Amino acid sequence: MPYLFNKFNLASHRWPVFSRILAATIGGYALATACSLFISQLLLNVVGKYQAIHIGLMLTFIVYACAAIWVFSVESASKAWLGLIKLTLFFTITTWLLMQFTDVIRS
Amino acid sequence: MKDNFRQSMKWFHTWVGLIVGWILFFMFLTGTMGYFYQEITRWMEPERPFIEHNISNEQLLDTAQAYLNKHAQGIDGWDIYLPNVRDQNLRVGWRHPAEPGKKRGKYKIKVLDIATGDKVASRATDGGRLLYRMHYRLHYLSTDISYWIVGFCSMLMLLAVITGVVIHKKIFSDFFTFRAKKGLPGWLDIHNVLSVIALPFHFMITYSGLLFFLFTYMALSTNLQTNDDEYREMRKEIYPRTAHLEKANQPAKMLDVSVLYQQTKTAWQDDDLSYVEMYAANDINAQVLFVRHETDITYNPADEVMINAVTGEVIAQQAKEYTGAGIIHNGFFSLHEGQFAGPLARWIYFFTGLIGTAMIASGLILWTTKRKPQQMKKPNGPDFGYRLVEQLNIGTIVGLPIAIAMYFYANRLLPLDMVDRAAWEAHVMFISWAILLIYPAFRPAAKAWPEQLTLAALVYLTLPLVNALTTDKHLANSLPHQDWNFAGFDLTFLVVGCCFAFAAYKVKVLQASKRFSKQSSKQSSKQRVQQNKPPVLAASESLLSLQQVNKEKC
Amino acid sequence: MLVLTSLCFTAMVLFCLAMTKHREQVIVHEVSILAVRFFRPLAWSLLSFTAYLSVDMYGWSIGPALLFGALTIAILLLTLLLTYRAKIVPKLAIVMSLMASISIFIS
Repeated sequence: MPYLFNKFNLASHRWPVFSRILAATIGGYALATACSLFISQLLLNVVGKYQAIHIGLMLTFIVYACAAIWVFSVESASKAWLGLIKLTLFFTITTWLLMQFTDVIRS
Repeated sequence: MKDNFRQSMKWFHTWVGLIVGWILFFMFLTGTMGYFYQEITRWMEPERPFIEHNISNEQLLDTAQAYLNKHAQGIDGWDIYLPNVRDQNLRVGWRHPAEPGKKRGKYKIKVLDIATGDKVASRATDGGRLLYRMHYRLHYLSTDISYWIVGFCSMLMLLAVITGVVIHKKIFSDFFTFRAKKGLPGWLDIHNVLSVIALPFHFMITYSGLLFFLFTYMALSTNLQTNDDEYREMRKEIYPRTAHLEKANQPAKMLDVSVLYQQTKTAWQDDDLSYVEMYAANDINAQVLFVRHETDITYNPADEVMINAVTGEVIAQQAKEYTGAGIIHNGFFSLHEGQFAGPLARWIYFFTGLIGTAMIASGLILWTTKRKPQQMKKPNGPDFGYRLVEQLNIGTIVGLPIAIAMYFYANRLLPLDMVDRAAWEAHVMFISWAILLIYPAFRPAAKAWPEQLTLAALVYLTLPLVNALTTDKHLANSLPHQDWNFAGFDLTFLVVGCCFAFAAYKVKVLQASKRFSKQSSKQSSKQRVQQNKPPVLAASESLLSLQQVNKEKC
Repeated sequence: MLVLTSLCFTAMVLFCLAMTKHREQVIVHEVSILAVRFFRPLAWSLLSFTAYLSVDMYGWSIGPALLFGALTIAILLLTLLLTYRAKIVPKLAIVMSLMASISIFIS
């Protein structure tokens, strides 16, 4: 482990890399989950509840992968975090709005 | 991360591949052997009789039913597996009632001797099943932990595949380029070629591997959207199952399965019955389900015929209904497992799996090759990390194949009446792997490579010999019986052994020429270039043979 | 399966011939530019024919899967041959495509 850290070389590099790893794993997971909720809400009335959930879930891995790659391609760790949080919030809020909308239709 | 996108992706690809490379190698190799797990199981139970040619399905079904009537009374579900290319013995199976506190009872499979109609008493072994289950059930770990580890590794594999495509500079113009060069460019080319030619496979196998535990990995999302009942219903929609009646507890006489079998012949033109399931046997509700070999990757509903076993009526099957997403999901499963593959396609599956294994191995070797010149210049010798990677490389890439061979040795050599014999077979495998992992720590890498390769060659070449000494299912017997299951196994061992021997030889030639070139580098640098050509091939071929090796193991 | 593999192999050889650096490996004498222009379209049409054949032989679901398997094997074979025995590639391609077409006509 210390070797790995040394490899990421120099004290200045160590923490940003660690932060990015956290962003990719935890932030990416959160984003993927939010995205799956969003997709299943979006498709709810098109293909039925279970299939909508299923499609959302199947796409999570792709979203997760893209998120992780993106995290490691931007200039700074803070930018990566910020981007992930923004997107996750966007998906969550849109999902919530969509849910209100579907309730209106049903009632 | 780095200066530009490609640079950072390169960095990412390198480290993502390295940290889980060895586990991925293990998963790929054991998973690849899984394509032949039935064949392996049969080889590991040498008490089984040789293949019997030209026996009709009717006769086989009668034999099986007679045995089941005698020995499996009171059990609800019976299964009959007909001999096929993969396993040339007749087998029956049933699930025992669950023990208190357990969810499901144990499933037992018995191999029947067609000549006597009785079961074959074979040695205790977990066979090929254990080997292929290792690739997602990392043997010693608990189910949950291993699923998550496997998921993590697969996710990184997916990342490595995607970033690999991104960083490959000239994927089309270098499509066929393989320069048999020495050192770094040679290994880079090997890695590239192995990755590109099987790219669809790599992506498919990784993504479908993740899909297998979709609801485990994405538990958060699933739980947010469904409660327990909805979850169960959703799973039912995704994995539709053939419905059957429950037991009514009114004994009734069943018709002969072989008679019922005639009716499937109108549904299917060809005669390729795969297995038979019986529900509520010897009950008024008895039903028999005939299933033929898969003809479609979404588990074609037309491949099944359900018949009432008391009246002999064909029960109209409601075709399994797949949702669009369900078709994709199940299609990926089927592609991953390759159950539909015939013998030739199975070999191609196997070979492609080995290409994947070799791709990982070449990537790992590439890591050390790239850093070698720099590391060798260090005053205190190479870094700890470098040496660790080198050691793990040797211990895994050559060590694991040897360990798998030891699993087969254990199967033949452990005493038959040993307590926990089946478990010990696996212990032997992992103990020998551990030894081979530690061994390179005490040897210089230049010596450890050829030594372990030689050992591997030796181990595989003697395996058929040991087989001949301990059982009667050796080549001299299996070839005349045209039992390609047994014979193919031994022959494959020989081929693998030869590949390893070739690899060891090439590595030695490479080293000899290196030493030679060092001594005479001043005088004849030009000559050296020519001299070095074989070594180059050597490096590449050692890899190729490695991969074959792995392959042939089955 | 063998038919698919040999047709894939031939198609790949044609692709190979369309690339200058590989053409020089395989064929000693000059080839007219006109002929070279035809290699690539020919390769694509042969590949599409093989795809059609795979679907025709094994159905929509298994066919493409086997096609990719056949492609993998064909490219591996070709890459190895180009490196170690480049000169026999054209002959082998002709023999394999002939055998494939014979077996298609017979069946």
